Amino acid sequence: MTAQTLMKDAPIAATEKSALSIIDYSLSYKTANGLIPALQNIDLTIPKGKTVGLVGESGSGKSSMAWSIMRYLPSNAVETGGAIRLAGEELLDYTPFQMMDIRGRRMSMVFQDPSTSLNPTIRLGEQIAEVLMRHRGLTKVQAFAEAEAALARTGITRPKEMLQRFPHEASGGEKQRVVIATAFACEPELIIFDEPTTALDILTARQILDLFNQLRDETNVSALYISHDLGLVSRVVDEVNVLHKGVIVERGAVDEVFRKPSAPYTRQLIGAVPNPDRWIGADAPAEPQTLVKLDKIGVHYGAPSRIQKMFWPEDADNVGFWGAKDVAFEVRRGELLGVVGESGSGKSTIAKVLAGLQDFEGRLEFDGKNVASRKAIDRAYRRRVQIVFQHPDASLNPRQKIGKILSRPLKLYGIVPRDQIKARIAELLEMVRLPAEFADRYPHELSGGQKQRVAIARAFAAEPELVICDEVTAALDVSVQAAVAELLVKLQKDTGAACVFITHDLNLIRQLAHRIAVMHHGKLVDFFDRADARSDDRDAYTKALLDAVPVHAAPQETASA
Amino acid sequence: MSRGYLIRRLLAVFLVLAIVTFAVFAITTMLPGNAAIMILGEYATPDAVAALERQLHLDQPWYTQYLSWVGGILHGDFGTSLRLSLPVTEVVGEAFANSAMLALTALVVVTITAIPLGALAAIKRGTAMDLGLGLFSYLGTALPEFVTATLLLVFFAAPQQGIFPAGGFVAPWESLTGFGAHVVLPAATLGLVLMAHVARQVRSEMSEVLSSDYIRAARLKGLSEKRVIRRHALPNSLAPAVAVISLDIGYLLGGIIVVEEIFAWPGLGRLLIYALENRDLPVIQAVTLLLATVYALSNLLSDIVIALLDPRVRYA
Repeated sequence: MTAQTLMKDAPIAATEKSALSIIDYSLSYKTANGLIPALQNIDLTIPKGKTVGLVGESGSGKSSMAWSIMRYLPSNAVETGGAIRLAGEELLDYTPFQMMDIRGRRMSMVFQDPSTSLNPTIRLGEQIAEVLMRHRGLTKVQAFAEAEAALARTGITRPKEMLQRFPHEASGGEKQRVVIATAFACEPELIIFDEPTTALDILTARQILDLFNQLRDETNVSALYISHDLGLVSRVVDEVNVLHKGVIVERGAVDEVFRKPSAPYTRQLIGAVPNPDRWIGADAPAEPQTLVKLDKIGVHYGAPSRIQKMFWPEDADNVGFWGAKDVAFEVRRGELLGVVGESGSGKSTIAKVLAGLQDFEGRLEFDGKNVASRKAIDRAYRRRVQIVFQHPDASLNPRQKIGKILSRPLKLYGIVPRDQIKARIAELLEMVRLPAEFADRYPHELSGGQKQRVAIARAFAAEPELVICDEVTAALDVSVQAAVAELLVKLQKDTGAACVFITHDLNLIRQLAHRIAVMHHGKLVDFFDRADARSDDRDAYTKALLDAVPVHAAPQETASA
Repeated sequence: MSRGYLIRRLLAVFLVLAIVTFAVFAITTMLPGNAAIMILGEYATPDAVAALERQLHLDQPWYTQYLSWVGGILHGDFGTSLRLSLPVTEVVGEAFANSAMLALTALVVVTITAIPLGALAAIKRGTAMDLGLGLFSYLGTALPEFVTATLLLVFFAAPQQGIFPAGGFVAPWESLTGFGAHVVLPAATLGLVLMAHVARQVRSEMSEVLSSDYIRAARLKGLSEKRVIRRHALPNSLAPAVAVISLDIGYLLGGIIVVEEIFAWPGLGRLLIYALENRDLPVIQAVTLLLATVYALSNLLSDIVIALLDPRVRYA
């Protein structure tokens, strides 16, 4: 039967020029509420040696597309028609057993997060070599030699040493290089990149993109590049497909789509991509008044205990690590201060110190009064300083209705008399542009953006003077992100509260912040006014960060959209 | 494994054991009531009581008693059994060896059956087999060992068609088959509960591992299912099982007291009951200390095994 299929397809394979062609493909998921369509009538072709982008927000079906191509669908998936052909061969006809021979050899995949896609208990070398042994029939010795060479091609400086390491002994970038080396190991015809830089830091992401471009030019591999980030995709692909609710709403050459988006959704998507040249922030406060002053703030994680200090005093500085050290800056009343840095830079540590959630060393002054330590932070301080976290799912109690969640700060700080709490909740919801009925709903009945609005309303319910926003937009889709950011700016303007906005997104922060602090390895490396972002006396690290972020072309198009 | 990790764990074990010696001593000696009177009964003559107090060093302050007791232990001397008039080391040593044989048999059986069963249940999740194993696990955990033991006795050791002896002990060096026949029922009683426990733990961990990103990645690399399971999934599912087994050793040590009594197995459990009934203080102290030591050491061993299984733990 297998031979027959191959015979039948052979002539097509010979004439076909595309590495992958998807023809009128539809997919649904069986759920308790019936069939839910995930992909509808998808047509997508990847010519040999080309990279095609697939862009969409969460829930658009872009991951389902990847699983369909890899033939790795969950058991409740129902394919309702169409064809997926790899070099002309119909993949839908292959048995799972035949697919095992194709995966990893003829098509492979690079995943979003290298820290979860590598097995934590197996050395990196074996994780590359096992593919070579499986598909190319190499011996162990040959496979490890080949793995070393493959790693060297990805720009890892000491590949032999890297083979012996476990995933937790390598950095995010190094791990993603290992995953990429594995994907390229058997010289496949097609590689699917599923958001390969999303989990990485800005600078690392930039390097991985460059590596991708370099390897593609060297190997002439065909690739499908999946991402939510239009700006980023424009750097690597030849053609882009925009996926919205399971339907490809627009396709074309990257420049074309960017300059003249035809579908309304694409226009909306491009308009929502943060653009540093489009200022959406409020006016800076007229006369600068200091609200918070940080001086030599340090946070020592895993600090030695008293006993350790007694026996090994010389080790005191080397035990644990400094989440933040010698950080000094001030926040002015009514301003929006951006704090930018990569993961582990200490930006969230500073947020925790300000919110009174973290022990610290050094001087913290709030409204002219010295706050000696975390223990000195009282209820009044906690009311005046509020924090909004990255994941609303984790910060809203799933067992409480929205009304109850919003009533808590009102009761705790006695903001309004008891009989007016209900009315105040309705006002708060209106303030964050949510309908008043939401007070009777549970968090899980709301979308991600709506939940984050609730979290913001809760912070502002206490009528604070400082709101700390810790990556509040990072977990949201691009189109929702912009709306949440604009909402924050409006609230801040209306209430006069100062805001410390922590983010890794440089483009976004340049749209909002009056002043920007840059952190790196627990230290404050740069602090500047937004107008001076491109000034020559910026720190080298700031410059590198700014250069690494893709700023997409055609801002005039965005403005008119 | 880093040397620091091992040293820290060893120090912790010693600290625990030091505390245990004190607790054991305190409970048996410092509690109100005179041990000599308890031993001799309330109608003993004052002379006899005073003599026994001297013999037990009860006339000395508690710290002297404690230090001389600990000092003796460090020299391998646990004192003399009050009832059997034999060195405690001798009495306890033989019982310990017998108990260890029973406990180890149970543990080995549990380990080699429960881990594959749990893994299989996770791989075949949602099937009849998974369901059956789940049911068996619930039964196993729900039934106390005196019920299991009685059921096993009724079905496998009833006088008419008894397949296995209902009780007693034959040393393996006397007759290996005899030992085997005698060990089956008590080991099964102890093992059933543990098996259910361990299998459930392995199943839940394995299910989690199987749905992880790196297993998906391994499958998408085209690796054979056999390799995905054996090399990628199984080793990562074992660490919690090892932790559970080591915690279960504590349970095993308690269970052994009941099981040995039911099956007339001449081990630590029976000795402890005998010593308690007869207020044989040195024996009670020695057995309790021994059980605590076994528990502490098995925990240490499990930490080491976990560190070997998961490289991330070694540096923690």
